[in-house]
Amino acid sequence: MNFSVKNGTPVIAWLLVGFAFMFGLLTDANADPAKEVRIATVAYNVNGKIGFNGTAAIVEEQGWLKEELKKQGVTLTWVPVTAQSVGVTINEGFANKSIDFAGYGDLPSIILNSGGIETRIVVPGGRGNNVYLVVPPNSTAKTLADLKGKRIALHRGRPWEIAFARYVAASGFKFSDFKISNLNPGAGAAALAAGNVDAFVTLSDAYQLEDKKVGKIIWSTKSAAQDWKMRAELWGAKDFIAQNPAITQIIATAYVRAVYWTSQEEHLDDYLKIANQNGQPENVFRREYSNDSVPWKIRWSPLFDDLVLDHYANVAQYSRQANLIRKDVNTKQLFDARFLNAAIKELKLEGYWQPRKVALKGA
Amino acid sequence: MKKIRDLANSLHTNALFFVSPILLLLAWAWVCSAGIFPEQILVSPAGVYQTAHELWGSGELQSHLHDSLYRLVLGFAIGVLLGMVFGVLMGLFKPIDAFFAPSFNALRQVPTIAFIPMLVMIFGVEETFKIVVVAKAAFFPITMATYDAVKGIPRSYFEVSKVYQLSHFSLVRHVILPATVPPILTGLRLALGRSWMVLVAAELIAADSGIGQMMEMGRQMFRIDIVLVGVLVTGLIGFLLDRSLRSVETHLGRWQQS
Amino acid sequence: MNIINQFLLNVKHFSGLLLPITVAVVWEFMSRQGDAYTYIFVPLSQIYSGFVELIQSGELLINLVATLQTTVIGLVIGGFAGLFVGGLMAVSPLANKLIGPLYHTLRQVPLLGLIPLIALWFGNDLFSKILIVSLAAFYPIVLNTFEGMRGVEHKYVEVASVLKFNRLQLLIHVLLPAATPSIMTGLMHALAFAWVSTVGSELLFSTGPGVGGLMLMAQESSRMDIVIVAVVSIGLTGLLMNASLSHLRQYLLRWRSVR
Repeated sequence: MNFSVKNGTPVIAWLLVGFAFMFGLLTDANADPAKEVRIATVAYNVNGKIGFNGTAAIVEEQGWLKEELKKQGVTLTWVPVTAQSVGVTINEGFANKSIDFAGYGDLPSIILNSGGIETRIVVPGGRGNNVYLVVPPNSTAKTLADLKGKRIALHRGRPWEIAFARYVAASGFKFSDFKISNLNPGAGAAALAAGNVDAFVTLSDAYQLEDKKVGKIIWSTKSAAQDWKMRAELWGAKDFIAQNPAITQIIATAYVRAVYWTSQEEHLDDYLKIANQNGQPENVFRREYSNDSVPWKIRWSPLFDDLVLDHYANVAQYSRQANLIRKDVNTKQLFDARFLNAAIKELKLEGYWQPRKVALKGA
Repeated sequence: MKKIRDLANSLHTNALFFVSPILLLLAWAWVCSAGIFPEQILVSPAGVYQTAHELWGSGELQSHLHDSLYRLVLGFAIGVLLGMVFGVLMGLFKPIDAFFAPSFNALRQVPTIAFIPMLVMIFGVEETFKIVVVAKAAFFPITMATYDAVKGIPRSYFEVSKVYQLSHFSLVRHVILPATVPPILTGLRLALGRSWMVLVAAELIAADSGIGQMMEMGRQMFRIDIVLVGVLVTGLIGFLLDRSLRSVETHLGRWQQS
Repeated sequence: MNIINQFLLNVKHFSGLLLPITVAVVWEFMSRQGDAYTYIFVPLSQIYSGFVELIQSGELLINLVATLQTTVIGLVIGGFAGLFVGGLMAVSPLANKLIGPLYHTLRQVPLLGLIPLIALWFGNDLFSKILIVSLAAFYPIVLNTFEGMRGVEHKYVEVASVLKFNRLQLLIHVLLPAATPSIMTGLMHALAFAWVSTVGSELLFSTGPGVGGLMLMAQESSRMDIVIVAVVSIGLTGLLMNASLSHLRQYLLRWRSVR
């Protein structure tokens, strides 16, 4: 009784594996010019509905981008990304070509480019967001010095690492002076609340921790030099930009339109309503924006000025020193200012924002 | 003549055993050298080996391994101990069974992994959390296996042993152990596999050391080579754990028959 | 005498509820011990209102359905693939020798440990989740299909050869029915693993709707009540699926002589 199949069947298995692989990597077999543009953005899943965060929410609300792309026969697809792992998810998206553009932070982009996947800044994201250092409410720590040798939760490779690293260096310390726990923001907040870490580096959710009485802010970039804030920009895949300059231009214009609208003080309240779909209370954002060293209008400046250039040079240098990347990144080539300049011209916004000629030197 | 044929046969079988893994390795190496995928997406076997070598040379790999295995051993030991005690008690004493069974069965339905966010909130992300996770993953299958094993000893065994006036020692040695050890061992093997998987997942989610964390850090730093080393190491450990318990099972199976 | 027995019986029924009730009382007590305690021991009333909130907003249902959907799709894909590979290994000794070692080696890699790799290769969306869940369902089905078909009594196979069945007929008319009990056992395991990996992959991929994502968000905003509701619904849904599958099993295997 022999009922063996003669041919070597694993061939089929291999083919299946191969197809699966191809499917994953080559779903982007877009002809030039693209028929679809995929923009990754931080989003929150509320009631099973996706709510966007920040400028992407405004772009979507304005609807201009979708319309303009439609005229070109291009569909716009937003790719939602959770705040827990923005950098990683978007880097992976660029690597497996499942996204064309993304609004995300400085350090992950440097890590990606150092890894050999090339992306470009299309529209800089303004002056950036604040980074906070939070300790438990009953902690006696007042400054970083009080936390020496203590455990600090910090999601490595995320933009706020840069701001924190500057603070650490400016205070005359090294990372090795602390016990750094690599925890995503959710786990970090939980660790702080449970008393498992002595401090936590995070963004504006710091205020929520304060409201819940599980944390107190002892430091933030609000009072620090302007280029200490974490930066996030609109990034595009280098190849996509090269092959689809017209689409890229529409997107750049849409983003500049959005930040122009946002930067007008009278739109602040509307902005908070539209761009605040992540479940965080509105007053958290009000506090993030209030009493800041950067005025509201300038906060949204999309210009490629010395501040941006300097910031990225700094990020690249830090990443190399901290051994986060193995290859140097030439940060100059990360900027592709054509689209922004054209957008400013098209929208007649020349002179609305002033470029910063000389970047502030971080302490 | 027959011996030679047997030898040839066994060689044939053993050779076949390695065919598919070697094919996989060759295909991997070929795909890399052909440059079908960029190296950021698929690192070659040689590249992975080199990274593993570097990680080993710097002592990083050992320290992660040490942390992971320590958590596994400690958590597993706790889970096994509690599970066996619990299983025996529930198996032998009806009131205890009735008292715990509904809660036990309800909790058993929830995958350990689903408890991770809750456990993180309660225990934070330190060692306690990981050890609790491992212990929880081990506890339920072992309790079940022990309970079933104890329940599975036919009443007649005890009656027969009474008739033959067996001592307590030989009752345990010749009746209880042979009847309960094999199913408990199977439960142990199952539990060990689950514990390992849950530990790796827990380390991926929240930890500051361990193999899972090494992979997560590799992922964050876009170092696919480190991730691949992690996948290979976790697979190898899973394989070795499974194999060693299997060999204990067969060994004891023989002992039981003799 | 009868009354005493009745009483003991009642106590026995009741005693199972004793533990949960005690836990609930202690829990509620702890929740009243101040702010630091309410963080973990959320009052029972709050768990209930969290539950009502999740139901009214539809959040629980939407996420649960998404999770279920992933599980079912993964189960179907992994199930059929597993049936195919397991059947092949049972029918062809060569296939068995070639696939077997790879299967037994790869099976030991903790599935959720593959997530960083799969995320990079296939992205972070539903496809990757389904891939993980399919793999989780695939492994037990292969094993049980293989063992079920291998364990088929020889006389059946002989009858088949008398009837001059070809291999496909043998597979469909003899091996598959005979292996059904074992395959159903495999399916039960597959369901459990698929369910675990769906929740796990939702926690690790953290994109898209799903109960795992709901839990993560609740954890992030320190909403223990929502976490508890999510955990309970994961448990209950798992229980329900398990129960319905075992009913299906009984139905499919009703032809078997019951001892």
